[in-house]
Amino acid sequence: MADLLFTEFLKLKRSSMFLISILGAAVAPFVVVIATFIHEPATPFNDLFYNVNLYTVLIIGAPLYGVVTTYLFNREYAENTLRNLLTIPVSRAGFIISKMLLLFMWIMMLSIIAWVLTLTLGLLTQFDGLDTSLLRNSLKQFSTGGLLLFVLSTPIILVTLVLKNYVPTIIFTVVITLINVMAGNSEHRGLFPWAAAGDISNHTLPSTYPAEYSYIIIAGTAIIGFISMVVYFTKADIH
Amino acid sequence: MSKISEIIKTTNLTKIYGQQKSVDHLNITVNQGEIYGFLGRNGAGKTTTIRMLLGLIKPTSGQIELFGEDLFKNKKEILRRIGSMVEVPGFYENLTARENLLVNAKIIGVHKKNAIEEALEIVDLHHETRKLVGKYSLGMKQRLGIARALLHYPELLILDEPTNGLDPIGIKEMRSLIQSLAKERNITIFVSSHILSEIEQLADHMGIIHEGKLLEEIGFESLRKRNRKYLEFQVSNDNKAAMLLESHFGILDYEVHDEGNIRVYSHLGNQGKLNKVFVENDIEVLKIKVSEDNLEDYFTKLVGGGAIG
Repeated sequence: MADLLFTEFLKLKRSSMFLISILGAAVAPFVVVIATFIHEPATPFNDLFYNVNLYTVLIIGAPLYGVVTTYLFNREYAENTLRNLLTIPVSRAGFIISKMLLLFMWIMMLSIIAWVLTLTLGLLTQFDGLDTSLLRNSLKQFSTGGLLLFVLSTPIILVTLVLKNYVPTIIFTVVITLINVMAGNSEHRGLFPWAAAGDISNHTLPSTYPAEYSYIIIAGTAIIGFISMVVYFTKADIH
Repeated sequence: MSKISEIIKTTNLTKIYGQQKSVDHLNITVNQGEIYGFLGRNGAGKTTTIRMLLGLIKPTSGQIELFGEDLFKNKKEILRRIGSMVEVPGFYENLTARENLLVNAKIIGVHKKNAIEEALEIVDLHHETRKLVGKYSLGMKQRLGIARALLHYPELLILDEPTNGLDPIGIKEMRSLIQSLAKERNITIFVSSHILSEIEQLADHMGIIHEGKLLEEIGFESLRKRNRKYLEFQVSNDNKAAMLLESHFGILDYEVHDEGNIRVYSHLGNQGKLNKVFVENDIEVLKIKVSEDNLEDYFTKLVGGGAIG
């Protein structure tokens, strides 16, 4: 597994996608901090973190991480490298898990970058209310958001593996974002896994349903997606 | 451990997509050390067969034995002994040749320090240290594909249309590379092509596939013999005619077939003289035929019209 993971890192060498994803992750911190600085400079630091995490998880996260996911999995089809890799003795399940490990690290890195940028820009624009407890809690919130979006990446991976193209994945993640936005004021939003992920990370889950429901729905989506993608990938013909 | 002479053996190998039989009860045998040419027109089922041999797609029915073992029962160990290049090889274009080979070396577990360097030297790409593969020509990519296939010292090399898209010099280089691999490294090579002349110049043995079915499996030596031009006489006494050929004309290159048919492979154009000698020696000549078959006509007839490809 270590060798497989090494090769996944190697494949990213000189890849522009890495920089593009960082730019994508920087959008929410820049927009939120600068807009707040201009319109409501008295806003406490806590709100900056809350808003950036909200936009990152609910609006930008699904399409951005979706593109990263598609890049990692689809490039093996697009660049015709998969049929080489699968003719050497490598376990298909091992191959897919090494890619998921890299995806996890990538998503967590982007979440941390969003957090660091919010912190840096907030400090530069001199917002008030920053203390160690806020630092710790906000980092935990950003990490939780990243972790939940990674867990929910399995259906996105499945769409990529089955349809082997960027377009269906982009449409799928845009639909997710649209539902997140539409469900923003709904008391039932805890039942939609991606919206629930935002609420769980920001501790704003509505009390309409027990929190366990949201956790079960997220876990169910992730597990069904994972099993489906592993079964599909291990059985699919490679053309 | 007994030595396996049949490196590839398929039994009734079939692949059906919907209503279409891409490969239909294919039985091929490739022996150790030979270069086996797999010839067929585009869409004949060559690539589908190769993908099944490499475990990329599962057969609808039939069996694949590689090195005497069922592919799907011991896939991991069998694939370790095979190097392959399927169609135009794909690479990570943001990496150099060395980095691309390192991906494979790490996954396969090639621990020999200079394995990558050695493989690149074989295909003469060891000087391209900094160039990214995205900037390679098609010919260079094909050669890099061979280097990648050789990285783990395989016993069997499966190459799908390795000369596709190459210019004449590239084709010549690829051909001599494949031949030298078979000779110097004693690698069994299974190579597919839709170009008859390519297979003819490269292979010792050949299988012809058409519409998913194997039409013929034959060695080139017997094929050339079978397709040599000849004079055929149908005579009343083939023993006496044979003796006359040897004593009168010194002809040894002839074959006696059934029903008094004698095929003479030399003295083409001298059928009149031969006929005269037979008649003068009381041999009745019932028929004289001058064969016009050559290799290309043979294939055209075999696949039912049109040239291969």
